[in-house]
Amino acid sequence: MIRIKELRKQFKTRHGGVEALAGISLDIVEGEFCVLLGPSGCGKTTTLRCVAGLEKPDAGEIEISGALVNSTASNVHVPTEKRDIGMVFQSYAIWPHMTVFQNVSFPLTQGRRRCAKSEVAQRVTRALHLVKLDSFHDRPATDLSGGQQQRVAMARAVVTEPKILLMDEPLSNLDAQLRQQMRLELKKITGSIGVTTLYVTHDQDEALSLGDRVCVMNGGRIVQVGTPYQVYSDPSDLFVAEFLGDMNVVKGSVAGPARVDSPFGAIDCAVPSGVTAGAQVTLAIRPEYVRVSSHAPEEFRGVQGKIVSKTYLGDSAVVEVEACGVLLKSKLPGDSDIAVGQRAAVAFGTDRWRVYP
Amino acid sequence: MGSVSAKDIPAAWLGRLLDVRDRAQNLYAGGLLALLLVLVGLPLAMVVLMSFRTGFPGEGGQLTVQNFVEAYSDPTTYAVLWNTLLFSAGTVTVTVLFAIPLVWLVARTDLPWKGAVQVLLTVGILIPVFLRTIAWILLLSPHIGLVNQWAKQAFGVTEPVVSLYNIGGMAFLQGVSFVPAAFFMLAAAYRTMDPALEEAAYTSGAGKIRTFFKINLPITLPALAAVIIYLFMTALAVFEVPAIVGLPARILVLSSVIFNATTPPTGLPDYGLAGAYGFTMLAAGLVLAYFYVRLMRQGKKYTVITGRGYRPKEIELGRWKWAAVVFVFIYLSIEVFVPFLVLLWTSLSPYLQLPSMEALSRLTLKHFVSIPDYVGTRPFVNTVILMFAVPSAAMLISVLTSWVVVRTQVSFRGTLDTVAFLPHAVPGILLAVGLGYLALAYKDYFPVYGTITIIVIAHTINWIAYGSRTTNSIMIQIHRELEEAGKVSGASTPRVFATIVLPLIAAGILNSWVWISMLSYREVTMALTLGSRQNTVVSTVIWQFWSHGWVTQASALGVMLVVFALVVVSALRLGFSKRGELGAGG
Repeated sequence: MIRIKELRKQFKTRHGGVEALAGISLDIVEGEFCVLLGPSGCGKTTTLRCVAGLEKPDAGEIEISGALVNSTASNVHVPTEKRDIGMVFQSYAIWPHMTVFQNVSFPLTQGRRRCAKSEVAQRVTRALHLVKLDSFHDRPATDLSGGQQQRVAMARAVVTEPKILLMDEPLSNLDAQLRQQMRLELKKITGSIGVTTLYVTHDQDEALSLGDRVCVMNGGRIVQVGTPYQVYSDPSDLFVAEFLGDMNVVKGSVAGPARVDSPFGAIDCAVPSGVTAGAQVTLAIRPEYVRVSSHAPEEFRGVQGKIVSKTYLGDSAVVEVEACGVLLKSKLPGDSDIAVGQRAAVAFGTDRWRVYP
Repeated sequence: MGSVSAKDIPAAWLGRLLDVRDRAQNLYAGGLLALLLVLVGLPLAMVVLMSFRTGFPGEGGQLTVQNFVEAYSDPTTYAVLWNTLLFSAGTVTVTVLFAIPLVWLVARTDLPWKGAVQVLLTVGILIPVFLRTIAWILLLSPHIGLVNQWAKQAFGVTEPVVSLYNIGGMAFLQGVSFVPAAFFMLAAAYRTMDPALEEAAYTSGAGKIRTFFKINLPITLPALAAVIIYLFMTALAVFEVPAIVGLPARILVLSSVIFNATTPPTGLPDYGLAGAYGFTMLAAGLVLAYFYVRLMRQGKKYTVITGRGYRPKEIELGRWKWAAVVFVFIYLSIEVFVPFLVLLWTSLSPYLQLPSMEALSRLTLKHFVSIPDYVGTRPFVNTVILMFAVPSAAMLISVLTSWVVVRTQVSFRGTLDTVAFLPHAVPGILLAVGLGYLALAYKDYFPVYGTITIIVIAHTINWIAYGSRTTNSIMIQIHRELEEAGKVSGASTPRVFATIVLPLIAAGILNSWVWISMLSYREVTMALTLGSRQNTVVSTVIWQFWSHGWVTQASALGVMLVVFALVVVSALRLGFSKRGELGAGG
């Protein structure tokens, strides 16, 4: 369990102070896999490093498994080495002068969570088995590939069976295919040991596929917290909407309690509270809900458009369609026969429009 | 919270302690900066002070510009300045003419035995300039020189064939001696250039020659210009060649005039005059150093360091290969082979003799054996003290400084780094003259004049610049996360230092420790300027043998000096062959 309360942190630079964290509050329950997602400089890594005790917050509280580790009010700052955590670094931080075994056993032999000698070998073996590096005990750390270093870092982080596992963009230095594979394995490993995990990334695919919960950050603040489905399908603002995937954005004006005028005519959709009739708003819809077909189906309720471009992606194809003077992106199945220059009917998924002030 | 509960008190204390820790860091860095400012600034301040004073060190008196008036109303001063300029320009020209082809051959072509060439260049740094100069005088001197003697014997010529006793000869010897340093500086600049920049030019349709002039040259130009300025700045202040060749030939430059003023062969030292000349040298040095630093910065802007470990294909020399090998061999002969062989031959001969079968039978080891009879053991003890004390002190200060510069957020860490770099721009002879003046003027507070301690201090200040450069790069290479991973694993800060940081930096630290030890061991200018009967070291003994005309003894001790250095460096290379190569630098 991790509880973060009103966390603040400023960094001094040559041009004055930069607010890295502007009051972050977040509760992560036992065994949860929580992903911090955001662009670079949003404060996600700073949050993680504060939990690890590698940065000292200017204000706020952090609790790990019920124990207060940071509190500016009562002047508590438990140093990193006294926190019951495991951490995987972006650079892996595998010590080059040690073997795989020495790297993984370090927390058990040098740290505060030392254990009996007989137990060390047993635990290291178990940890290396978990990451599928069974026969690597005596391999020098410098003889490892990127993927293997990543696994050693993982084994070292879990060898003490910590209550909290922290990961700082652990997959960003791997190539695309390996990243996919490690993503699946990470999920399995953390699931099998049931550790509470805080995971930092800027990759939305990683966040959506790994997290039990995704916490989107921007400019030192948390913008939205929710399940991957919630943050993707119901983004709380335009930043979240566009950060989590492609989004079509159209100007409109509020016509009624659940009605917005748009270039495509009036659209029935939920209007955020506090926005009165006549107000200018932004309408947003994801490309997969913009349906484009060469012939209008029965009961057609859409508009006419013309295909401007088509990008073939194998499993899908993205077309740009111009309709009512607006350029829209639409995601179609890969085998769609729609071609550039063709006229087409454009329809929108019901309840898929989102409205932002 | 109305009242502080009992439970909060230890926590509050802990917090205050942490604040103290932050403050202690600033205090520590501030103390270090003060120490460096004193070490580097005080000797320089002394040079300035003595230039505005007359009389002996420690005699008060008013500040005056009399020294400058005296120096600059003397027409010989202008001859000295002109000589200095000619000598420096000639030196840099010779260096560049050898160094640029060498760098290009080693970095870009399929020249054979590149590894050996680099090792021999390192050896070139270890042979002190004055020994190389002595060897070449033994070979080319108009009277005693082996070449001229042989010409007399063989062809009956009465006039000397060649002579080194002119500015050209001086510039040649000094220029050749600068080549290894220039080579390693230029090679470093070349290595940081992304080969893709060159390849991008080829793919844009530019040929090899056009690419060289439009891409390689402009990109490496700031680095080349920086190296040229650095060499010029150093040449303005070197002492060994101007003393050994220039003084007998009555060709005076700034450094020999300063040395003569502080340690005159007859009469009383004139510190005021030395100060006036020193001030001029210092001003020129600092102006050049400013441009050097600016150019280095500009050079850094161009360097792109890529993670990919590949090099573009080497240029095939084809039938030019052997011409290149001959060029490299000629250079290495001038730099290493010939001087060493001449010294070896002279040291084994009973007196200076031409090589012949008959001469071979007369070879003897008596000069080696008899050295302790002349000088006792003191110079050797002193040299050992230098070899341990100087690198230990310089590396300690360097590590402490680099830690602040690389690992902390202390606001003035940039200033600290610059001050540690400053000795790079300060001529050794001025450092020594300033320190000597300080020790004479304030001998009650600073009773080190004429001791080995003052040489240790001078050498330490001189090599802080080199030491802190290497420790900076060693520390930067250790990713911060390696330490953090140790802390996350539950290890305390001292334990992280002992089990992770120390093993990782040890090899690099030891490497530069040995290198500084070797540089201090063969240094002569500062040791001579600060010399007395008590603090002679091996290098100054050789110098004294030479100036007393004991040619064979000087050669014998010189051979011992070089051989010992070779043994140490070879042992180091073998020991570290796994961990990285031996760095080189001045």
